[in-house]
Amino acid sequence: MSDVTAEGLTAALRHADPALSRFNPLKRILVHDDFNSGTHGWIELLGNYDGRGNLDTVDDHMRDFRPPQLSSCNFFDVGTHGAMSGTYALKVATRPVAGHTGVAIRRLTMAGRGRVQFETYLTFKSEAHSAENQAAVKAGGGEWDANFHPSENQFGAFTVATDICDGVRYHCVARYLNTGLDNAPRREWVYPTVPEPTPREHFEGKIKLPPTADFTAPEPDHWKPFGGPQELCYNEVPTKVNWHYLRWVIDTGTRSNVELQLNDTVYDMRDVPVPPYDEEYGSLQNLLNFYVSVRTHTDVRNFLYLDSVLISVDW
Amino acid sequence: MRQSLTAVLERNRTLSGEFATEPYEVAWAAEARWFVRTLERSGAGARLKVTTQVSPDGLHWCDLEPEREVAGELETWTSAEFGGWLRLKGTVDPGGAPAEGTGGPASVKVMIYLALKS
Repeated sequence: MSDVTAEGLTAALRHADPALSRFNPLKRILVHDDFNSGTHGWIELLGNYDGRGNLDTVDDHMRDFRPPQLSSCNFFDVGTHGAMSGTYALKVATRPVAGHTGVAIRRLTMAGRGRVQFETYLTFKSEAHSAENQAAVKAGGGEWDANFHPSENQFGAFTVATDICDGVRYHCVARYLNTGLDNAPRREWVYPTVPEPTPREHFEGKIKLPPTADFTAPEPDHWKPFGGPQELCYNEVPTKVNWHYLRWVIDTGTRSNVELQLNDTVYDMRDVPVPPYDEEYGSLQNLLNFYVSVRTHTDVRNFLYLDSVLISVDW
Repeated sequence: MRQSLTAVLERNRTLSGEFATEPYEVAWAAEARWFVRTLERSGAGARLKVTTQVSPDGLHWCDLEPEREVAGELETWTSAEFGGWLRLKGTVDPGGAPAEGTGGPASVKVMIYLALKS
């Protein structure tokens, strides 16, 4: 009889569980969110406000990130598509306004330092045309050739990111830039070279961003590509859903990126910089937030769907 | 245990003229209750009227209920047998009295909540 180790037994039990065997977790699972059973702490991000709850004091670019939805992936042509497992996925949706961003955030803290892994199965879509939304004639729309669907170039970007503070505040960020602001295909991964603008900078009169500013890094030049282009599976029309595996590892011991996997492609991210904040922060010790965002570059709603999420750590 | 979720479909938002809230998926829910908090009105006569709408796909909409006026600071009602999608369509009009202040269109600043339960 072969030796049975605790690690081997744990791995075998996880592989025997259909809900977990699709993931490849590190030693300790912090979060396993199956959106068939609710939103699991994923909530709309909102900027900061004053002591009287006056929401007028929220920065313009951080006041309308939209509530996430439990979506059955319901479409005009085929009805309920459903999620990868079960009926429901978490959907983050933009408004039909160029530059608008939808953001859902998950708030944790750190009980140690080391590698942290975020895994999900996701899909992304722009909204199908209707008489009301007129998507087909909005920027980015084009000719249909019975294979490529013009709605694919009306999807801007989705982002997986963190907000971490161990005394130093920093964000690890990976964005799939499907199209540029001109709606031309980019199909590549990018990272921000500057820290996120803060409400304090606005409060002190240093910066004021418009409602549709890119809150993670406002200037297009602040984003740099890494790893080379990658084609994903949009599957020709805006109403077919194919789930993509995403695995992203960071290290909170070294405040660094480690690697990103999207389907069968693994990107070494150890040399992708993580810009720290200059400013020190109170009441954020051991902050470990994850967020996902979706950003439209045209006046058409963009959607990011997560079937399920697993966050694991090696501490 | 039943599931519950409150979505803030409009937060501190100033509405004027014709508007519709963003489509919201509610297929999982058995109960839906709307709350509309009116934070400010541009003038005493500014009137907010809304109609609950449903949709088969989030793209095409029809009325579920008759139009109602939201006159109080906090008003609530329920919607039933709503299928997969809900939104509010509405209008803000001066109600016969001109808007005070800038002379701009009649407006109301609102919080719109959709409280859902399985």
